[in-house]
Amino acid sequence: MNHDRTKRLLPAYADRQTGPVRRFFLGRHIARCPSCLAELEVIQAMRSALRTNLPVHRAPPALAMRIASALPREAPPPASRRSFRFGFTGAAMAGSLAGVALTLAVTRATPPDAMVADVVADHVRSMMADHLTDIPTSDQHTVKPWLSARLDLSPVVKDFVAEGYPLVGGRLDYVDGHRAAAIVYRRDKHVINLFAFLSGDATDAAPRQESRDGFNVVRWRAGGLTYVAVSDVEASQLLAFVRLVENG
Amino acid sequence: MGTCAGVTNLTKEFSSAGTTTASHGMQQLATDPRNRRFELLAMPHLDAAFGLARWLTGNTADAEDVVQDAYLRAFRYLDTFRGDNFRVWLLTIVRNSFLDWLKDTRSGQRLFQPAPADLDWTDPNPSPEAMLLDRVDSETLGILMAQLPAEYREILILREIEDLSYKDIATVTGIPAGTVMSRLSRARLALRKAWINNEKRP
Ligand SMILES: [Zn+2]
Repeated sequence: MNHDRTKRLLPAYADRQTGPVRRFFLGRHIARCPSCLAELEVIQAMRSALRTNLPVHRAPPALAMRIASALPREAPPPASRRSFRFGFTGAAMAGSLAGVALTLAVTRATPPDAMVADVVADHVRSMMADHLTDIPTSDQHTVKPWLSARLDLSPVVKDFVAEGYPLVGGRLDYVDGHRAAAIVYRRDKHVINLFAFLSGDATDAAPRQESRDGFNVVRWRAGGLTYVAVSDVEASQLLAFVRLVENG
Repeated sequence: MGTCAGVTNLTKEFSSAGTTTASHGMQQLATDPRNRRFELLAMPHLDAAFGLARWLTGNTADAEDVVQDAYLRAFRYLDTFRGDNFRVWLLTIVRNSFLDWLKDTRSGQRLFQPAPADLDWTDPNPSPEAMLLDRVDSETLGILMAQLPAEYREILILREIEDLSYKDIATVTGIPAGTVMSRLSRARLALRKAWINNEKRP
């Protein structure tokens, strides 16, 4: 690949927005061309400046309430169901409480794919209800025994901070009727929930990725456990994370 | 303690949730399946929506108005969401709400001036000072960003903070996919020049 063409495509290279073949040829030119390399470094410095130093603006807590109360509301549901139905307003008003009730309703209405719906709901709730972790620590040697002691299972728990997936902590959760370990990671600003629970099926199964409601879900079985990773990071990043866990 | 901890917590929280809601009255709760679907889809992206609106409007109060408007629209058009990335869809709506807000406010109109077209975006000379950019402090960076044209601010936020692909950036901003890279380059260069000028000042 020649110099002018490479130079023009440097932003796409830095942003990882080219296909693998083009990436290979661009990389080969850059390695040999001091001018392209210098420019690539400037772009990367720029990117990391924004990613690490730009002030973060989080939504004020009152905004969620304000929106929830402005939404049009439908007729109330039949009395028999309503004690199980808590939505966002409930979560906002009752703080961390209301979200917990949500699963109870979800667990029963269950087509085969309910597990995926369930983990997505768990993932969302873990962030909404401000209850991401029961044990907030990046120390894998604390999280793992803490979970093992409470669940009689020993999932992979490892801090992948060097690879860009720092461990945030652990939590007890329920997935599809199973008591599950939820191991929480971050990728930049995004949360990754990794659920692990005892499989009915003891055979290993390779990771399978799917999307649901804007979230990516990857599930696989290993060592008698079912693992499910959920996040709104791009599928490729979630799969890279899954590979780390698999080799962990 | 031990293996029952989770169950105990759940039971306790569940029963106290029941008490709390009773005292607040049922009509306050989202009970409709459509409302609940919306909450599950949209509320996790509130920080993303607010962050974009905040960078575009430049202040919290206007950003809140823009986000509320966007969420109400998203709720109204929820059934038209067909994609698999709700965040991209929602950010598109936030941007549209912002543009409408601009039209409605005189103070807003000066915010979205088109960026100068003559800016040379090929790299002038990778100077050592530019390499120090990643040491710029957060406050300075925020001020420099705020001074950029809005179309530069938005593309930088979408790329670096929201981590959107070029394709998704094209969807949110409505610019052709082929021009995302060049606009992003211009935005980066504009920010870099602003930073270098800022450094030169006594
Ligand atoms: Zn070159």
